[in-house]
Amino acid sequence: MSDIRKWFMKQHDKGTGNGSVSKNNATEKPSPGSPKPENVVQEGQETAGRRKTSKYFATDKVKAKEEKVEEVQAKRKAQDAGGNLSVNEKPPAAKRIHKAEDDDFVLPPSAAGPRDVTPSKKSVSGSGRGSARKNMISDDSDDDLKNKKSDLKPAGRGRGGRAAQTGGKIVPPDESDDDASASKDTKPGGRGRGGKGPSAAPSGGRGRGGGGRGGFMNFGERKDPPHKGEKEVPEGAPDCLAGLTFVISGTLDSLEREEAEDLIKRHGGRVTGSVSKKTNYLLCDEDIEGRKSSKAKELGTAFLTEDGLFEMIRSSKKSKSATQPESKKSVDTVVSSAKRNSQNTGDGTGSTATKILAAKHLAPGASPAKSNASPAKSGASPAKRKSQAKESLLPWTEKYRPKAIVDIIGNKSLVEQIQRWLESWDEHFLKAASKGKGKKQNDSGAKKAVLLSGMPGIGKTTSAKVVSQMLGFQTIEVNASDSRGKADSKIEKGIGGSTANSIKELVSNESLSANIGRSHHQKTVLIMDEVDGMSAGDRGGVADLIASIKISKIPIICICNDRYSQKLKSLVNYCLPIVFRKPTKQQMAKRLKQVANAEGIQVNEIALEELAERVGGDMRMALNQLQYMSLSMSVIQYDDIRQRLLSSSKDEDISPFKAVEKLFDFNAKNLKIDQRIDLSMSDPDLVPLLVQENYLNYKPSSAGKDDSGLKRMSLIAHAADSIANSDLINVQIRRYQQWQLSPAGCLSSCIIPASLLHGQRQTLEQGERNFNRFGGWLGKNSTMGKNYRILEDLHVHLLASRESYLGRANLRLDYFTLLAKKLTDPLKVLPKDEAVENVVDFMDSYSISQDDFDNIVEISKFKGHPNLLDGVQPAVKAALTKAYNKGSKSRVIRTADLITLPGIKKAPKKRIAAMLEPLDETVAEENGEELAEDEENSSETEDIDVEKKLQSDLQSLSSRGIQVNMDLKGAGSSGGKKPSAGRGRGSSNSRDKGSAESSGKRGGRGSGAGAKRKR
Amino acid sequence: MLWVDKYRPKTLDKVIVHQDVAQNLQKLVSEGDCPHLLFYGPSGSGKKTLIMALLRQIFGPSADKVKVENKIWKVDVSFSLNFFFFSFRMQAGTRTIDVELTTLSSTHHVELNPSDAGFQDRYVVQEIIKEMAKNRPIDTKGKKGFKVLVLNEVDKLSREAQHSLRRTMEKYSASCRLILCSNSSSKVTEAVRSRCLNVRINAPMEEEIVNVLEFIAKKEGLQIPQGFAARIAEKSNRNLRRAVLTFEACRVQQYPFTNNQAIPPMDWEQYVSEIASDIMKEQSPKRLFEVRGKLYELLTNCIPPEIILKRLLFELLKKLDSELKHEVSNWAAHYEHRMRLGQKSIFHLEAFVAKFMSIYKSFLVSTFG
Repeated sequence: MSDIRKWFMKQHDKGTGNGSVSKNNATEKPSPGSPKPENVVQEGQETAGRRKTSKYFATDKVKAKEEKVEEVQAKRKAQDAGGNLSVNEKPPAAKRIHKAEDDDFVLPPSAAGPRDVTPSKKSVSGSGRGSARKNMISDDSDDDLKNKKSDLKPAGRGRGGRAAQTGGKIVPPDESDDDASASKDTKPGGRGRGGKGPSAAPSGGRGRGGGGRGGFMNFGERKDPPHKGEKEVPEGAPDCLAGLTFVISGTLDSLEREEAEDLIKRHGGRVTGSVSKKTNYLLCDEDIEGRKSSKAKELGTAFLTEDGLFEMIRSSKKSKSATQPESKKSVDTVVSSAKRNSQNTGDGTGSTATKILAAKHLAPGASPAKSNASPAKSGASPAKRKSQAKESLLPWTEKYRPKAIVDIIGNKSLVEQIQRWLESWDEHFLKAASKGKGKKQNDSGAKKAVLLSGMPGIGKTTSAKVVSQMLGFQTIEVNASDSRGKADSKIEKGIGGSTANSIKELVSNESLSANIGRSHHQKTVLIMDEVDGMSAGDRGGVADLIASIKISKIPIICICNDRYSQKLKSLVNYCLPIVFRKPTKQQMAKRLKQVANAEGIQVNEIALEELAERVGGDMRMALNQLQYMSLSMSVIQYDDIRQRLLSSSKDEDISPFKAVEKLFDFNAKNLKIDQRIDLSMSDPDLVPLLVQENYLNYKPSSAGKDDSGLKRMSLIAHAADSIANSDLINVQIRRYQQWQLSPAGCLSSCIIPASLLHGQRQTLEQGERNFNRFGGWLGKNSTMGKNYRILEDLHVHLLASRESYLGRANLRLDYFTLLAKKLTDPLKVLPKDEAVENVVDFMDSYSISQDDFDNIVEISKFKGHPNLLDGVQPAVKAALTKAYNKGSKSRVIRTADLITLPGIKKAPKKRIAAMLEPLDETVAEENGEELAEDEENSSETEDIDVEKKLQSDLQSLSSRGIQVNMDLKGAGSSGGKKPSAGRGRGSSNSRDKGSAESSGKRGGRGSGAGAKRKR
Repeated sequence: MLWVDKYRPKTLDKVIVHQDVAQNLQKLVSEGDCPHLLFYGPSGSGKKTLIMALLRQIFGPSADKVKVENKIWKVDVSFSLNFFFFSFRMQAGTRTIDVELTTLSSTHHVELNPSDAGFQDRYVVQEIIKEMAKNRPIDTKGKKGFKVLVLNEVDKLSREAQHSLRRTMEKYSASCRLILCSNSSSKVTEAVRSRCLNVRINAPMEEEIVNVLEFIAKKEGLQIPQGFAARIAEKSNRNLRRAVLTFEACRVQQYPFTNNQAIPPMDWEQYVSEIASDIMKEQSPKRLFEVRGKLYELLTNCIPPEIILKRLLFELLKKLDSELKHEVSNWAAHYEHRMRLGQKSIFHLEAFVAKFMSIYKSFLVSTFG
């Protein structure tokens, strides 16, 4: 116990002694020698700094409620024949003592307090939670040494101290049965904090009030509850909160928001998102002045703390509980051991604060006995169920499929829209056509088909069918199980040959739809279900459907899941799009309730809402789940549904960023190894990259005091080494399929670095946001790959110039500096014309193209170094480009051309970078010949103009001494002879127009290419 | 045209630097045949020049008539393999995989770089080389009954590929000769080495480099001041190619050479030395982060990671106290080794830098407090 802390408490004592509530107690100043517990309690309430809220807590509503509870208490007291004083400690309402530093929560004043002074004392002392008591017991049974140690921890709120003190006063010391009590305590699920005292200390010490909730670091995120998991969550009667509506605001004391929601729902309460008139309670532990609380104040909604909630739940239980003796016993033990503990720790200082704090983790005992009387699951009458046994063979989804429009859940207006569309279809299209007007109308009838889209199970097909039926249409449904390929026009396939043909027939035949004979006016509607499922099997399906829509004389309803699917792009234009939305959970729950009632299942609406939420609006799935559960139980509880659907939603994605954040969190050392593996395995590709990118940013909490940064540096080195290891493991995994190594991989890639360096995140660069960056490796690697390809292209060009035989690596390492210099320096220093000529000459000698020029500049650019092209006048650059393009005549080699081979099936793509004709050779090379013929083959269908052009090209070529054996007359003659023929050359389409034009003037090879393109 | 290409000796007689090797080679092929050859030696020592000259010696000027082809080979892989990379997935089972390869070929020889195929190099050796080796060249005059395959960067071939290679070498020795070219013989397996006549090409001595530079200067009609060539030679790290290139860079920079003219470093070397001085100046996570950015910059500019590491170590050692040199070199070797085993080289480079920072920082703290 630090002096500061003591001081702190005293300060508060003094400062808040004049609080309104504690006025009656103000006279009883705490004297060091004789602690007056209730005094501290009252003051504690005042120190909360939340007077505003506490005012609200004291509203009549709450009081009334508490009064009721108190009656229950009274009854129970009467039952308690033993007359043990300690029983009176049962708290009628939630009550807490708290440490001075923890000054930001508010309690509902107990109903007992105002009523009577003496009971107030008792109620205070009894305000302990079962969890704490449990702790104490486990501590006792473990070892006293530990107990003492943790007692000294100043963590948490000094709740237990009250119990200890009062207990000591009221109950005769009974130190004999510590062990007995431990063994007697059979309560399950107490969340003990025993032995975890030290670790809990820091978290307890995080004063929320002092830290400033709105600190910008935490902006937008909710903090963890300060006493997370330290309290035992009570269990009450299943429907004890039925009919009550709660709104949760801010951070609760020990429960996560989700847990609290869960707790309320489990007990039949309803949790809504915002405060309204219907809201009964605003559940919050601190006044955060948010919108919710101000609204609640406006509406006069009652405020409720977490403990108040617990008490509500617990009290409901108590009223039913029949295990009085046991509870009494445990109270006894609590008191006695509390006493003992206070003896242990009250080491002569005698200060109130010390004692309170010391005993704080002791459970203020006397929690209601929590016999595990789960709600009786008797439920529905078996007879009723039996009677339904036969019918229930049918899946409920079919059985309860809506038969009328009113049965359809949600999307009311959309259904009406469909209805209107169907009704007016005839007028719009048939009548209008007969009138020959064809005027455009803007309302929903303007399109001949509708496209219903939306996620599965929300009733698209059902709506379509029900609406059609209601309007007296005969429905023809075509779905993915039917072949929906393109209609075959061949007569032998016949009308009945394929569905598509019959559809064609159907839609084009008015007689079928208008007056199909017998029945008076039997209209038909075509429902094309699952149109986005038209796939490989349905060739031309969508196109055919569109054609059908165009000629259709009957309405067509198309149904799909994904309106934005690539396949449906064209279809959307011809349809009136109607997007179905998920029904709300209330709507679904209502319908599910109907079903449940019809099936004789007992289930409350809260549970059904939960079900509706869990299935994500999929009514079909909800019904299926319900049916499945109905097989094994007739009463379905909230928990059952949670349990059942938990597994499916449990693994819901945790983003890699979140995972890394958790791994590197300040408190990450509390994570279990399993959890860490789970986190790093959540995306085994991305998480390691994120770790690698961000591990430098964390200031390791394990380094402790580290002025020089030496420890941190060595930790970083260690982590970097581990990350490097993970790369080796990764190679083993990926290359040699040693998948059994993947846990080791995730250990060394994520867990070791994280456990070494977890701590607070720092920014390393100015202006950087303090969030984890995306792994840079992916981007850099792809840039590297791109640059290597570029380099390879350049390499090939250089090789093709026959001036050099260097390797690729050497090209970059040795040649690049000089190449770049040679290419750019003249442009900077020499006069324009001379420079351009100089550079173009150089480029030609190495067959460097304009693109290569840019690439060389690009690849030899380093961040922080001046760009090579700085200082080059734009005019010079333009002149260079011009000169280069002009000089292209003299070039033998051009950039690599990408072509595909015609003729051969699945011809491999082939890139021929350059073909060189020796200038001094009289006989064309063998390969050259072959190529020449190839070209001729490729150009054999060219018209005469082109041939002439080629001829002239050839002449110009030979005048330059390049001999190409090319027989232009033999068009088609040699085509069949050479199966290998067809290695023509043409520029890829991606090349720009300019080069396409200039290629006509190129050397022999280029001419073929140019001509080919013209064709 | 760059001088380095312009004054590259075209025939074995004109070789300046490795005259003894050239003479031996000349004798070797005087019979019209030759064994498999393995040329090894540091970069810039003249392996490639000798190989080309040798080919010219064997086949005459037609060896010059090369064409460059970038072909995609279809290779059937009959066993299951399963490579996962981020964008590239291959299923198990029999598959046809595409191997893209650039070849440089004349009628008599084919030059290729099998390690370009990356981890698929094994198929290059197994299928493509085999196929090339099998085809006996059609020789009208009945002269040379064999074809030469020049394989570059053999040391970068994976072990599997090298194992496949040795069978090919024996089986098709009747129709084909292999000339292997590598920087280090130690990365070529014993089996392959023993099947070849090993030709070690040393890095040229500095005097030899000076001779070459003076030869070029004479041909170009340049005046070089006393000692200037020697400085270039020294700076080139006994890499003749680099020396000649640097020489020309000097020429571009400033012609009438002055004796104290600065010799421009390679762009990437300059960058690495900047990194090294960054590291020496400050050892902190922030600095490490900056260094990572610069290393990425080098890597994306296609500088091989091994070279970066080597150069970085070199620069660091220059500035380091001698008592740390051993340890740092040890770690550099450690991480270089692992870099070769691994795939994401930046991880290893960064680990080395982090290690160095940690060592150096603790050294500084313990020395200066």
